[in-house]
Amino acid sequence: MTEDKRNCFVLEGKMALPNQYFAGRLGSRFIIALRDKKKITGIRCKKCNKTFIPPREYCEQCWTNISENWVDLGREGELINYTVIRYGDRHLPRKAPYILGQILLKGADTPLTHIVEGVDPKDVRVGMKLKAVFAEKPTNTILDLDHFEPV
Amino acid sequence: MTEYYGATVVDIFDTMPKRFKPEEAKDVDILIGYEATGEGGGMWTAHIKHGTLTVSKVNELKGCKTTIHAHAETFLGVTLGKITAIDALTSQKLRVVGDIRFLMTLLPKVFVPFTVIPKKKVLKARDILVTMESLFRPERAEGVTMNVGYDLTGPDCCQWSLQIKDGKCKVREGFAEELTVKLTMNASVYTGMMTGTIDGASAFTSGQVKIEGDMMAAVATARYFHKYTDPDAKEAEELICLRVTNSIEQRFASGPVMGKWFAGLREKKFLGNKCPECSRTQIPPREICAICRIRVNEFVELGPKGTVTNYDIVYFASPDPLTGAVRDTPYAPIYIVLDGSSEREAFAFELKKEDISRINVGARVRPVWTENPVGSFKDVLYFELDQ
Repeated sequence: MTEDKRNCFVLEGKMALPNQYFAGRLGSRFIIALRDKKKITGIRCKKCNKTFIPPREYCEQCWTNISENWVDLGREGELINYTVIRYGDRHLPRKAPYILGQILLKGADTPLTHIVEGVDPKDVRVGMKLKAVFAEKPTNTILDLDHFEPV
Repeated sequence: MTEYYGATVVDIFDTMPKRFKPEEAKDVDILIGYEATGEGGGMWTAHIKHGTLTVSKVNELKGCKTTIHAHAETFLGVTLGKITAIDALTSQKLRVVGDIRFLMTLLPKVFVPFTVIPKKKVLKARDILVTMESLFRPERAEGVTMNVGYDLTGPDCCQWSLQIKDGKCKVREGFAEELTVKLTMNASVYTGMMTGTIDGASAFTSGQVKIEGDMMAAVATARYFHKYTDPDAKEAEELICLRVTNSIEQRFASGPVMGKWFAGLREKKFLGNKCPECSRTQIPPREICAICRIRVNEFVELGPKGTVTNYDIVYFASPDPLTGAVRDTPYAPIYIVLDGSSEREAFAFELKKEDISRINVGARVRPVWTENPVGSFKDVLYFELDQ
């Protein structure tokens, strides 16, 4: 028996979802420094002698407002942890497989999580020395610092 | 209103209640009269009584213990500290009737000083377009020939063209003869895109920008220019806010039974189906009666007129799921029982905007069709009151 398809319709729809993300005052300044000056900045708590990256308004240990103590961090650092993303998805910043590393920058006390390139996932090791590579085209996101690669 | 030193006399009195410090005026009871002469002037009274303040615009200064008289310009100058009160008093530009010493110690105590709030200049599309030639990057546009037309709508509507040819860029008002691509958008969307507050791709997917002609040329245009920076914006702290409109494409296959509904729309008919057991009608038609759980094969024409059983008036600008465009508000979905349908078998459709104010439960409505129905939801434009 053949099916009667005369009355089969396909209807197209489109769902637009407007989203808005505010980086915050500190977040904006952090990204603008990456974008315009190609500088990685953090915020230092003088009391606890700790430098945080990404910047935060309050020291997590002594709860002091530290939002004005900006410090420049080095562009180089050490890989202290990593994971390999092995599934691909449209919303991800890179095609799988790629490495997401935690990089402890010179002068910082907290690691920055970012993409590591220029090294094969099977050769990546904790303790590697990495350097920052900045994006050519501004995106107004953390991806203005495009990725890290081995020194 | 005439401005002096970037403010008007009215600003002083408008901000007075905000600048008032009630805790400093607990033991004060005084009615002060103000007369500002010349353009932008007027008469006001400020009544301070036991920690309260009443400011009123008056036609005549009556019953005031102390009055202050000056030209509007002097008045603002003194208030803003551009002119010292002593200078103004000695030169007779400022005249005070009453206890001047008391007033001069009282006022700074009970009011926070008046300051001019810098006005934010609204950036116009024209301000940006006239700078485009200087922002041109010929090294990136080698061998490129194109004419981009901007049809900017809204209160600042204007039409401009960018002509790129032989490594040169010309901007002129009006459209060039042969446009490679034409972009139609609100002027405020254009300024937003140029200053980075609106994302170009999102503006396009959400329907804020319409592109006619070579789409790739429209996308490439940004490459040929340096980023525009607002000369006045530098003082302000830049804050990053990302706006993205994610667009999800959707497809819905009706199947042959519900498809009858769309086939009916093509002939300007509403086709439901009728259960052989309970005689209930279903809109849109279903293969199985939802109550008796048996196959339904009989189709019946319903309506086209119907009765409203309920309605919503929506003020939230949600996106239209068929196009992704943000809907105009208010809009009103009405629940209609078409003539011939079973009781409670209502279906929802949009009501004509002009009829929103007159809708009520029980109203009779009729469909308004497009000229050439194709078998989609859009074949019915809306329902309107049947009167």
